[in-house]
Order: sequence, then structure tokens, then C-alpha cells
Amino acid sequence: MEFAQPLLRMEGISKRYGGVRALEQAGLEVRGGQVHAILGENGAGKSTLIKVMAGVVAPDGGRMLLEGREVAFAEPAAAIRAGIACIFQELSLIPDLSVADNVVIDSPPRRFGMIDHRAQRRLAEEALARAGGEDIHPLAPVKDLPLSRRQMVEIAKALARKPRILILDEATSALTAADVAKIFAVLKRLRAEGLALLYISHRMQEIAEIADVCTVFRNGRNVATYEAGTKTLAEVVELMIGREYSHAFPTVAAPESDAGPPALEVRDLRWAERLRDISFSVRAGEVVGLGGLDGQGQRELLLALFGVTKGLSGEIRIDGKPTNIASPRAAKSKRIGMALIPEDRKTEGLMLPMSVRVNLSFAALDRLSRWGVVDRDAETEAIDEMVRLLAIRTDGVDVPVGSLSGGNQQKVVIAKWLMVRPRIILLNDPTRGIDIGTKQEIYALLRRLAESGAAILFYSTDYDELIGCCNRVLVLYDGAIKRTLVGAEITERALVASALNIAAGAEAGA
Amino acid sequence: MSETAGGGGVAVRRVPLLRHIDPAVATAFACIVVLLLIGSLYSREFLSPGYLLQQLKVASFLGVIATGMMIVILLGQIDLSVPWAVAMGGMMACAATAHGQIGVIGAIPFGLLCGVALGLLNGFGVAYLRIPSMIITLAVNAVAQGLMVVHTGGFSPQDSASAAMRFIATGEVAFGIPHSLIVWAIIGAGTVFLLNRTSYGRAVYAIGNRERAAFLSGVDTQRAVMIAFAISGGLSAFGGILLAGYASKAAQAMGDAYLLPAIAAVVLGGTSILGGRGSYIGTVAGVILITLLQSILSVMQIPESGRQVIYGAVILLMMLLYGRGRRAEG
Repeated sequence: MEFAQPLLRMEGISKRYGGVRALEQAGLEVRGGQVHAILGENGAGKSTLIKVMAGVVAPDGGRMLLEGREVAFAEPAAAIRAGIACIFQELSLIPDLSVADNVVIDSPPRRFGMIDHRAQRRLAEEALARAGGEDIHPLAPVKDLPLSRRQMVEIAKALARKPRILILDEATSALTAADVAKIFAVLKRLRAEGLALLYISHRMQEIAEIADVCTVFRNGRNVATYEAGTKTLAEVVELMIGREYSHAFPTVAAPESDAGPPALEVRDLRWAERLRDISFSVRAGEVVGLGGLDGQGQRELLLALFGVTKGLSGEIRIDGKPTNIASPRAAKSKRIGMALIPEDRKTEGLMLPMSVRVNLSFAALDRLSRWGVVDRDAETEAIDEMVRLLAIRTDGVDVPVGSLSGGNQQKVVIAKWLMVRPRIILLNDPTRGIDIGTKQEIYALLRRLAESGAAILFYSTDYDELIGCCNRVLVLYDGAIKRTLVGAEITERALVASALNIAAGAEAGA
Repeated sequence: MSETAGGGGVAVRRVPLLRHIDPAVATAFACIVVLLLIGSLYSREFLSPGYLLQQLKVASFLGVIATGMMIVILLGQIDLSVPWAVAMGGMMACAATAHGQIGVIGAIPFGLLCGVALGLLNGFGVAYLRIPSMIITLAVNAVAQGLMVVHTGGFSPQDSASAAMRFIATGEVAFGIPHSLIVWAIIGAGTVFLLNRTSYGRAVYAIGNRERAAFLSGVDTQRAVMIAFAISGGLSAFGGILLAGYASKAAQAMGDAYLLPAIAAVVLGGTSILGGRGSYIGTVAGVILITLLQSILSVMQIPESGRQVIYGAVILLMMLLYGRGRRAEG
């Protein structure tokens, strides 16, 4: 179905977050009666584009045309009024309210100022019927519904707003194949009704099944738009990777010897449904990467190793000895010597209003104090050494750490843990949102640490980093290690293909 | 990034000399001066050394209690069990004196121990059972009240304070400097040391700022929280012991008048009610400020009800001022 004029047209949309370009001159045309799939790596700009469309973020530049008229949404409610409804990965339902309450939550029908329950129930029933959830009782509390039914309610809630464009952002990622099939039946009917559907998913099989048109995003731009089925998986992967950027990485040296037990060994680690039978080892001097799409259990794995998660099963061995790591306190003890550079430096790594001094020495206070009293001279000495070693740019050590630039804050987080002199270093996406210069300093530092005998486990959402820094990369998918890439095997193509869990054949054909 | 850099940068670019002076503390001291001036308009006596020392003596009871409250507030928690922790401390210490020579000697330690136990209960509930501190400390307060009523049979307690209790609460060193002021000074110095020089003190501020970051840095945050409540319970009880020594005996509701002033003193002294920020000198200023305020309100013959209204209003006002500053920063 082709119409002369697209329903929604975005032109030259740009958006920056601090120094990071999320979108650069991106464009998109959305037509009614089509399922339009959006593809791209982590951080390619898909989510930002959707947020611009839904009025969640305001673009720095560019324009949006709805049926040829220019529009700008100051807030999500404005986008909803214009007929754009969004379903996000994280469910937005309130568990303790009924299905009907949830479906019409933003504009319940009113009578004499009170909510008209009869009208509300009728509206909810209509929306549920359209969403394929006729069997869901409108007065049932949402918390009693299984996940797939909740997703139906979520769709009903979006449909109750009478949208012309429905955006599904990873809306099926929590669902099983059978549930996805049900949702797809609904989507196909909505397509037939003339709705424009924007579908974002990392599951290539789903996209092959439902999409009419696909647009690939890379580095904040739309690089290609094609009709579904006209490109092979290998070509699509090629488009997603691109071939434009390269960083200077230090050379990767092989770990010295295979003698003795590995510094860190994990056997059959399981946790709830998030980690499945994970087994691997990291030797002293080795940098092992964790790859895969965002949210496949990498963070959970690092937190589990660091003693944060409770209820693990499996075995963790330190230097060959089975070890129970009950808490971060135990993990950083001399016996284990582990450090975790956490994901979010603002909430997990630093106390922003407190001084650089306090933040730097905080994890190592046990070493710098006697009978619980901090030895200030030893502290100052150790801090000066770290500020020099990592070249942290700061206006003295008594200023709040929040006043430093992002890159320097990240250096403080790393330095804070180096002061503990760890033998096993876990890093959770340590270069996200920092400038390229600091990134390179961090790569060089990782190398030096590995050479001096540290075992490093390194999660990154940036494939280049994994290729440039790691001896081996473990690719996770759905909480399990799907593939281990060693040495020259670590290529972008192999990383992307195994991250998307595409069979090795598609990758070889490219 | 730029927002936080802006917030923190203000402190950095301030004139070096003023860098370490918290505006809230300066405000509190300025208010003390203003109150003294207002008071001196009513009576010349107000600026006499005798009157001022008397005020400091009264302030020292509140100061001891507010010290514990401050540590708990620095963590981002609150201790509402102050009233009956105070009463329990005083009553148990007095009760011990009825048990012969050992009881007389052990009166102060026994009262303290009861307070610490009460605080440990609070701390266990907050840290390990994850009960909001507002709920658990209120509940523990009620339990303590019940226990004390059972102990006394509902009548005012008959035991009187030991000589040691009277000594620390009423005696004078020289020049009219009361013992209780010395006691407060010692506890205050200990607290300043604890907060500024020990790893425990760093942990308290860190937890108040960002508990998750402190936990991921390998701090046993649960133990630190429990210890803080134990300190608070102990110091409340010690305040009760001092009060019982001052009045020669404990009384049923002797702690009721200390909960709001203790919180007010801490907050007026610039400690963020959300935790993570504040200095002991501020709490000292807050305690003196509250004591003077009480004194002046009574000199002006404003009835108790009026005083309560003014307290509440002053606390609200300060909370508005400091709460906003904090939010703009974060």
C-alpha cells in the first residue's frame, strides 16, 4: 500500500546529550497501513528517534511533518493528542489498579466530575477487543495477569488513545514465541485497519515475519531504507555495522602463561531467569570481554560476581579455590581482591556532592586507617599518586567530585578502585558517555593493569572496544553465553551476528 | 553533567576564606545573636554571664540528645523514639539505684545500656528488616512507653537519682561552668572526631549521600546504620540520665519535650534532613538557638501552645530554605 504523502515525515532531526551525538540529521517516513521496522546497534539512535516522535525529548534541530503540516511536541501528551501512541519495553501499567482503570488512565470518562465507571468499562472492553484481549476481564487487577496478557492490556491502553501511529519499542522482548504470535495477529489486523506501526526489535526473525519496510540506523543517522525481504541477514548486519570509525587501541598482548589455576573461574552460575548456566574463566593478565545486546544478563553477571545478588547457584573459584562472595565488602577483601567499576557513576560509583578526596579513598579506607581512624597523611599520599597516575584534571582534591567533567569523574571511579589494588577487575561499560580522549586513556590503563597481572572482565556496549581491548569475548544472549570469540575471531561481524543469535551460516555468507 | 558541574562549581569558586563556612551555620549563629539582642531588650539580665551559662547548661541536655539525632539524620533516617528513650534512660538509671551499692555504681551504665538496646532494635528494623525508620522508631517508642508504664505501675517513679548522676548534671567546675556543659563538650568532641576522622564517619556521610554507591564500595551499610541508631538510643538515654540527675528523679513524660527540639536543632544547624550533609558545629548552633528561642518565648510569657506553633513554623521555614537548595544541587 503506497500513499502519495507519508503520514509522518521527520527531516534532519538532530539531538545531542552533552558531548554525545544521539541523532544527526536523521530522517524517517512513516506511512499508514504498514509495519515499519527500525534496526540498529545499541546506541544507533533508535530510541532517541522514538522519544522525539513521542514528545519525550525535544530535538535540537530538524522538523516533523504530520500529514504535511509541521508539528512540534512540547510534551508526551501533545504527541498523544496528535495520534502517536507508544508502547515501551518496560510496562507502564499500575499493578494494583484494574485493567479498565489502566486502559483509560490518562483520560478517564467523567460524569459530574466523577469517573464514570460504566463508560470506562465500555471503553476498556472496546479497546481490549481491538487489541485481541477480549477474554481479559476489565475489572481484574493487572497484577493478577500473566506477562503476555499485560502486554495486551498495554496495547489496549495505547489503542484507547485512538492513535494513527503506534510505536512498539522492544515490546515483545519479554514475551515467549507463542505470546509473540498472538501479538503479531493483532498487529496485522491493526495494519489492515490502516494504522502506521513502527516496530523496534533486536529479534531479526520477528522483523522478517512482520515488517513491510525496514530502516537501518547507525551512529544517529538513517543509513538505508528498504522493502522487507529484499536484503539478506548478512547485508543487514553489514549495514548496521558500517565501516567508518576506528579508534586507536593498544596492542593486545597474550597472557603470559597458562600455568596454575585461573584468577577467576565460574561454573554453572545461575540466578533466577536472568543468568543461565554461565561457565568461564579469566586468567591473570587476560582481558575478557562481555558482548551481546544490551540487557542480556551482562550487568547481572558482574553484580553476581561482586556479591550483590542473593540466591545464586553454581560455583565461583578464586585462584582455583571455591569461594563464597557474600557482599561487595567480601569481594574487595584481600582474600578475593575484586573491584567493580559500576555502570552508573552518578548513582553507583560516586557520591557527587562529596569531595574528590573522600570519593577517591572511600573504597580503600580499610587500608588507609588504623583502628578505624583515617591516617590523613597516608590518604593524601595515596590520593596524590592516583591523581597523577590517571591524570585526573581537578581543581584540587577538596572540590566536590560532581564539579569534574564526565571523563574525569569516571577516572575517579576507576582510581578509587585501583587504590584497593585489586587482582580481579570487573568493568560495567566504563566508557559510556565520556569523550574519546579519556576513552583511550582508559584502554591504555586496562592494558597496563592486565600486563601487571590483573584479571579483567569487561562489559561494553561498544563493539569496537571489545575488539580493540580483549583477548576473548563471551557473547551473552538471554542470560547465557552463546559464543566465545578468541583473538582474531573477534570481529564486528562475528560480534553482531552472535549478539543477534543468528546462525553461523548467515555470517559466513557475508 | 553540566548541571551537576554548575551546582558543585559554585562552592569551588567561592572566596577561599569562606569556602568552609556553611551559609546555614552562619545563618544559625546570626540568629543566635539576633535572639540575644531581642532578649536584652526585655531584660538586661539576658547578656549576663550567669544567664548565658544557665542557658548553656539547659542546652547541654538537648545537645546530647541532638547529637545522636544528627548522626541518624546524616544517614537520611530519623529517630522518633527519642521521647521514651530519654525517659527510659532516666528511669532505668534511677531504678538501678534501688539495688544496693552495685546498683548505685552501675546506674549510669545501666541506663545507657537500655538506651543502646532500644537503639539496636531501631537499627535492626531499619537496616536488616528494611522497615522505614519513621515507622519502626515510632513503634519502638510506643513499646518503650508501655514497658516504662508497666515498670512504674503508671505512677511517677519513686527511685531517685544517684549521686554521680546529680554530679554530672548539676555540679560546676569553676567560674560557674556547669559539669553538664563539659559532658556535652566531651561528647561533641568525640562526635566531631567520629564524623571527620574515622572511616565510620565517612561511611555515614556516604550512605546519606548515596547508599548504593557506599554499598558497592564495600561498606557494610547495614551495620553502619544499626550502629548509628544504637548511638542515638544511647545518647538519648544519656540525656535522660542527665535530666534525671538535674531533677533528682526521673518522670514519666520527661522526654516528650525533646523530640521536636532535637530534630529542629539538627535541621536549623544546616544538616540536610535528606542526609549526607551537615556539620556538628551547625548542630551546636541549632541547639543553642532552640534553647534561646525557648527561653525568650517564656520570658515573653508566650504560653506553651504558642511556643509549639512557633517551633513548628520555624522548622518548616528552614526546611523550605534548605530543602530547595539541596534539590537544585542534585
